[in-house]
Amino acid sequence: MNDITVVLQSLGRGGSQASEQLLTLVYEELRRLAAARMARESPGQTIQATALVHEAWLQLTANGDRNWQNRAHFFGAAADAMRRILIDNARRKARLKHGGGQSRVNIEDVQLAERTPDEDVLLIDEALERLQAEDPEKARIVVMKFFGGLTNEEVAQSLGISERTVDRQWACAKARLFRWIREQR
Amino acid sequence: MKPSTPLEDGVYYAAIQIEDPARRKAFLDQACAGDAQLRAAVEELLDARAGAERLFAQGALALNVSAETLQAANGAPPLAGDDRVKLPDDEQLGGRIGHYRLVQKIGEGGCGTVYLAEQEEPVRRSVALKIIKLGMDTKNVIARFTAESQALALMDHANIARALDAGATDTGRPYFVMELVRGQKITDYCDQRNLDIRPRLDLFLQICHAIQHAHQKGIIHRDIKPSNILVTQDDGVPVPKVIDFGIAKAITGGRLANNTVFTASEQFMGTPAYMSPEQAQMNSVDVDTRSDIYSLGVLLYELLTGKTPFDPRELTETGLDNMRHTLREMEPPRPSAMLAALPAGELAEAALHRHIEPGRLTALVRGDLDWIVIKTLEKDRARRYETASELALDIQRYLNSEPVLASPPSRIYQFQKLVRRNRATFAAAVAVTAALCLGLGLSTWLFFKERQAHQEADLQKQRAVDLRGKADARENITLAAIAVNRGDFEEANARVQKIPVAYFYPSLEAANVFRSLGVWHALHGRWMEASYQFAGLLQVNQFENDQSDAAARDLLEAGAPLIEIADQDRYEHFRREAIRRFAGTTNPVAAERVVRASLLVPASLTTMNSLSLLAEVVAKSLATAGSSAAPGGLEAPWKPIALALMEYRQGHWAEAADRGRASLTFPDKNPAEIATARLILSLCDHRLGQDAEALAELALARTPIQAQFSQDLIQGGEAEGYWFDWAMARILMREAIGLIEGSAQPVNVPANPSKADPPKPQATLMPGRCPFAQPARIFMADFGGRRRLYLRAQRFGIATPTFRRSRTDEYSGIQAGWIYANS
Repeated sequence: MNDITVVLQSLGRGGSQASEQLLTLVYEELRRLAAARMARESPGQTIQATALVHEAWLQLTANGDRNWQNRAHFFGAAADAMRRILIDNARRKARLKHGGGQSRVNIEDVQLAERTPDEDVLLIDEALERLQAEDPEKARIVVMKFFGGLTNEEVAQSLGISERTVDRQWACAKARLFRWIREQR
Repeated sequence: MKPSTPLEDGVYYAAIQIEDPARRKAFLDQACAGDAQLRAAVEELLDARAGAERLFAQGALALNVSAETLQAANGAPPLAGDDRVKLPDDEQLGGRIGHYRLVQKIGEGGCGTVYLAEQEEPVRRSVALKIIKLGMDTKNVIARFTAESQALALMDHANIARALDAGATDTGRPYFVMELVRGQKITDYCDQRNLDIRPRLDLFLQICHAIQHAHQKGIIHRDIKPSNILVTQDDGVPVPKVIDFGIAKAITGGRLANNTVFTASEQFMGTPAYMSPEQAQMNSVDVDTRSDIYSLGVLLYELLTGKTPFDPRELTETGLDNMRHTLREMEPPRPSAMLAALPAGELAEAALHRHIEPGRLTALVRGDLDWIVIKTLEKDRARRYETASELALDIQRYLNSEPVLASPPSRIYQFQKLVRRNRATFAAAVAVTAALCLGLGLSTWLFFKERQAHQEADLQKQRAVDLRGKADARENITLAAIAVNRGDFEEANARVQKIPVAYFYPSLEAANVFRSLGVWHALHGRWMEASYQFAGLLQVNQFENDQSDAAARDLLEAGAPLIEIADQDRYEHFRREAIRRFAGTTNPVAAERVVRASLLVPASLTTMNSLSLLAEVVAKSLATAGSSAAPGGLEAPWKPIALALMEYRQGHWAEAADRGRASLTFPDKNPAEIATARLILSLCDHRLGQDAEALAELALARTPIQAQFSQDLIQGGEAEGYWFDWAMARILMREAIGLIEGSAQPVNVPANPSKADPPKPQATLMPGRCPFAQPARIFMADFGGRRRLYLRAQRFGIATPTFRRSRTDEYSGIQAGWIYANS
């Protein structure tokens, strides 16, 4: 946890290569947190990804520093981390479904949320990649809102734009992404 | 992916803020004028919107993660025991939070964990402590809870587990402390013991009484669901206890999420299956006690059938918009219909848990129990049981094999629901005025109009065009209906004018058209046209006996226009019919409405007598509803107001004033109610010789009323008063003005606001045909430069005179000298 705080602070001071570091650390942290939680739940229990992110944040700042800047960075990174996790997961399941025999994980051991529309998530991800190329701001907003569960205010503060812009970009991005996805189906 | 331009984005974003399709189209026309490409691009986006919202809402809900997922994705081995991260909740087992020491975890809910805890100060006892695990604005949550805790502390009922305390953990999460209840979820309790229907209903009755108790203390639960009702055993007797009062409100602040934090509330909203339609709306629509009644209905449904009216998975998984739409628009299947539609295995299971054969279960539920449930699940909360004890009473009646209040919907009602679904975007809250029918006396008028039409045409020609006329009529009605749906009332009106009265035929479509047009005209003050449309509605509707309060409300709509056009004849007839139709009703809401609609002008003794029975129904309902502080919704104050009006018309000034004042003590009232109450008070004050007070009240009432009419009326609703409420208030206002400020007769006479003497007759009377056999007097009214001729005739046997007002306002002649003001 301390590592994260350190990295966040360095980010605050303008260190940019710290963000990759942050992502890795946050990713790890989320994993541990989820594992710890799940270990005492009944099998098959799931939690919302965004709840996990918020909880990690609470944990992180239990000892005090709830600096807004740090939070924005943290959530941004967490959103990215979450995306990575979920996409990897979706891909694995898709592979399993299609009988890709690489992994030897017993299907019963893989306790997955009952109704993840994996293909939807994968498509959203792919669409996002394309959107990224054309309109990075929109793509960033989608990642933060969809995978990170951030509020308009949080996104606005994080990116330094107005809430209204966030709202507009989010609305337009959703429509465009959906249109593209619809064409692919 | 096609790149977007900021212009497209901007226009799209602006367009989605406009809800009304007609206005949106107008906006697009303007914004994209001359740029077909832009228009096409934006239309494409708009087309994609619904699907997009659904996809993302769905996706967000489904972003669930399990530990194994995370580990497997990473390819790392599972974490060893001592490597675990300490979660805030965990470390406190055995530890303390405030005065409480956590002993054991006893449950896990949608939004929190429940622990058994030992309270140490100020008393030692075992309690339940619930920690909310979502990240949220803890300070405000606790503040809201504390604000209500006084009221919560006043609750004292065997079937309520009280909330005792609230606070924040070290890690900043809110926790609530509650009376400890060692029990089982009610649905599990019943199923595990295979309880019969009767004992289930007994448990349900106790819950109703508990909720009633809370409502009388002003507390709405907001989150009634099986996991919030635990059944304990007390000496072998099952005791249901309702828990979690006050928590829902504290967490959501009384309104469920704005869009930006919907994911947090989504998680809280564990069971949308139990949410009432108004809760699902999720804006600042006020949720009142009837929302709890709805949730009780869902509970009853589940106790009877094992299922909820709407499938919970479907509700959460198809996205937020769909969920809202389903809860607010879709009619749930009747419990017996639900059972009948179950696959054999499921039905057998449900029957087993209810200790009965499958066939018998469906038969048992069918009928009274069906209707009781459906009544509590009404989308329109005014149609539900008003209080939990009313619901309990009906169930008790069922158990005693007595007839129940709830009844199968009449054909009219089903027809209303049908029309409602296809309703125009006019957003009317009033159901089809099908109840207007049944000879409300407007047919005579139609007869005159029709005769007029026929007199002007050649009979021979009439016959020839008859067939074609019918076809044209049909087409015009359809075109009018389409126009109404678009919100294009001018067009619809034009179409309807083309149809000769004789060709009005019974149809749903036509009914909808006439109704919408009637209200539209009324809102714009075109009273004559409005009454005409309502009359047309009469002709195209089915007749059926409907004493529901929606039917009665429709009366209110029809009554006002009749007074406005000063057609006292019709009004008299209308009032007599209304009383006849609703004679013997025990529905207090319907009774109130009939009374109010019938007393816009003074009435004869016989009329008053027949009204008194209805007034009694209202009075009784007021008495049994408990103190005036009992929440009854925004429509409740009309009851004492109606009674006040009744007393006033009977000449009981003091009693009327009392009632009027009582209505103003109700906690929830809308401005129309306040204005009406004040008007009645002003009338009473004047009668009692308290002129200063009378003038004061009148002034207070006048301002909001005149403000309403300073521009076109709006449809209105419970919160601000319906348009017909305001129209009726204005009618009373005229009476008050006439009485208090003028020297006119004590009847509904638009009266002279100034205290000057009536002016002397001027000029000569214009020649013209008088429609009355014996005109007694002709008056001219002048206010703000608009002059109308009023004919006053005395109808034999009726105490009040009738008036006929001229349509145009150019006059140069009067006779006798009473002057009237036009509102």
